[in-house]
Amino acid sequence: MLKHLNEHPSAPARVVVLGASGFLGKALLAKLAERGIATLAPTRSTLDLAERDAASELERILRPDDTLVMLAALTPDRGKDIATLMNNLAMAETVCRALAHKPVRHCIYVSSDAVYPFRGGLVNEQTAAEPADLYAAMHRTRELMFADACGEISLAILRPTLLYGPGDTHNSYGPNRFRRQAAESGAISLGGEGEETRDHLFVEDAAGILCDVIDHRSEGLLNVASGRSVTFMEIARMVAAQFDTPVEVKGSPRNMPVTHRTFDTTALLAAFPRITLTSLDDGLARAHRDVAPDR
Amino acid sequence: MSGPRVGIAGLTHLGLNTAAAFAERGCRVVGHDGDVALCEQLAKGVLPISEPGLDELLQKNRDAISFSPDPSAVADCSIVYVAQDVPTDSDGKSDLAPLCSLVAEVSPAVDDSASLVLLSQVPPGFTRRVAFEPARLFYQVETLVFGRAVERALHPERFIVGSSDPDSELPAALLDLLRKFDCPILQMNYESAEFAKIAINCCLAGQVGVTNTLAELCERIGADWADIASALRLDRRIGPHAYLEPGLGISGGNLERDLATVCDYGNTLGTETAVIRSLVDNSHYRRDWAFRILHDHVLTRSDSPRIGILGLAYKPGTASTKNSPTLRLIEQLAGFDIKVHDELVGSVEPGHTNLVTCPDPADVWRDSDALVVMTPSPSYVAHDPAQIAQAMRGDVFIDPFGLFDRQACLSAGLNYFRLGKGNSEGEAHGLPC
Repeated sequence: MLKHLNEHPSAPARVVVLGASGFLGKALLAKLAERGIATLAPTRSTLDLAERDAASELERILRPDDTLVMLAALTPDRGKDIATLMNNLAMAETVCRALAHKPVRHCIYVSSDAVYPFRGGLVNEQTAAEPADLYAAMHRTRELMFADACGEISLAILRPTLLYGPGDTHNSYGPNRFRRQAAESGAISLGGEGEETRDHLFVEDAAGILCDVIDHRSEGLLNVASGRSVTFMEIARMVAAQFDTPVEVKGSPRNMPVTHRTFDTTALLAAFPRITLTSLDDGLARAHRDVAPDR
Repeated sequence: MSGPRVGIAGLTHLGLNTAAAFAERGCRVVGHDGDVALCEQLAKGVLPISEPGLDELLQKNRDAISFSPDPSAVADCSIVYVAQDVPTDSDGKSDLAPLCSLVAEVSPAVDDSASLVLLSQVPPGFTRRVAFEPARLFYQVETLVFGRAVERALHPERFIVGSSDPDSELPAALLDLLRKFDCPILQMNYESAEFAKIAINCCLAGQVGVTNTLAELCERIGADWADIASALRLDRRIGPHAYLEPGLGISGGNLERDLATVCDYGNTLGTETAVIRSLVDNSHYRRDWAFRILHDHVLTRSDSPRIGILGLAYKPGTASTKNSPTLRLIEQLAGFDIKVHDELVGSVEPGHTNLVTCPDPADVWRDSDALVVMTPSPSYVAHDPAQIAQAMRGDVFIDPFGLFDRQACLSAGLNYFRLGKGNSEGEAHGLPC
């Protein structure tokens, strides 16, 4: 549950975004620019969080009235091994060390819904985190690291569901990969018959929620999801329908058990009662339009 | 007067209903409470609580009941009941201090041959620790239901009595009193009786949890829970009185207390209580049902939505707002314009700047974008849905308990929502094949 420390939304003096070149980072920078909020987005060439002296450099950058958004992470497509885990933890350690010496006004750690188990039933903020792989363990560990390092700093931990939309740099299983497959081969390949249900959130909506958390100087834990889950088969068909030419949606022999995930988003709605989210239909259409304007 | 003289210490909702029922059965009743003003008001026939039928029953038996702030007033009673409220915190944890104080105050006044009976809800082991002669100390399970307290006090299904020696017959006066109600008397040890109360509430909470879980599925798959509940009531293993009405979680405080107690026992004694914990989670989830609908259909569709709410109490016929879903809803709607009405609750705690309490329910729905019937008080149904629809600015009508006729609401052009059924014919969210 989130608690808003700003009774009325108010932009911070500056937002420092770590990991701004990623999928969500780019969308966040665009939203912050729309709202006229000053930002600083160090690139890896100017601040490599994995480097030994990065903490002192970050300390030099940070100001007491900053909001710091930590998005930087090596995602599973960059590796799922122990080395990737340790690199990710090293990056978090850098930020935590900097915060310990140079506190900011507000810190937001963007984690992942990967920390939750696939046990069925609704997932909400009271659902116990049970990391089942190194990527999930990385996020859960980093959550604890930030909680430990922040002390008096207001800390929000956000756990986004699967994000989709234009500008996706990953090729993970879901709408973006389906669109690429369809564009390249005229067919979409599903695992099994795509029976799994998942919650997919339009990336600009996730960025908008991040901005709201920034403006309200919110602290606490919040899942960032739409609250509506559909099967991968349905998503594949919706993606296929965006193309002018027929796209085949193909199943395959299933080698993984079917799992489902649906979020109870009451806490999100209670935190931001006027929030409106992009429907999957509209979001997929926009993603398609922006990625393949000639189709 | 044909029955024993009975003392009731603690003139609470429970105490007053018990006193009225004993008097109705022919007993002389002496009510004691340390609150002098309360005793004076009761002596004048002014009740501090609202309970259907209680006023009339007390009036009818006025000559048989007296009230005193002096604990020694119970000295000539052959049985003294203690009916002190046991308050709970937001986690359902009991505060036993007021009960302990009252027991300590009244027990020295109890005659050497009289019985002391605890009626308050206590955890197992409590009665055995009370400093009173065990042979004359008893725990009796209360089954008060707000809004139906008189009926249940006059016609209990059974008495459950805990004693230090379950093989010994109860004292003659106590037996004489209980037999006047013509129902089974089950005697057991203290701990069994104390836990029986918790068991009853857990079973009821289980029915509530299962009902709410299945009712939500009905809303998604095009089934109507009301039809299914009718079928379930005819099943002998479930029964006509089962808690099969879908609701907004568990409220009122008592069921929550017992669920919390069982979870605590599970933790400390090392037993598996996940099913009980899930009932608590389910209750919290269902409590927010109306808010989720308001969000989807009103809050995000209007710049300055106006919400009308009928009912603040957690159920009809009571002024209790303990864990009331309405209070939670009002908290979630902070910043929005709200008008509320309740038959018995005067107002809500200050803190919501845009909330107006209306003495007339018609003022609640006038110009509102949405009307939410949070407490299904029967008096509301006298209002014509067509007139309500005409007076409203919007058309969202959230009637969780189905107080109003659904078809009449739809005919009036209202977008009607109730628990256990989709909001329009044929609405189904897609069943997995």
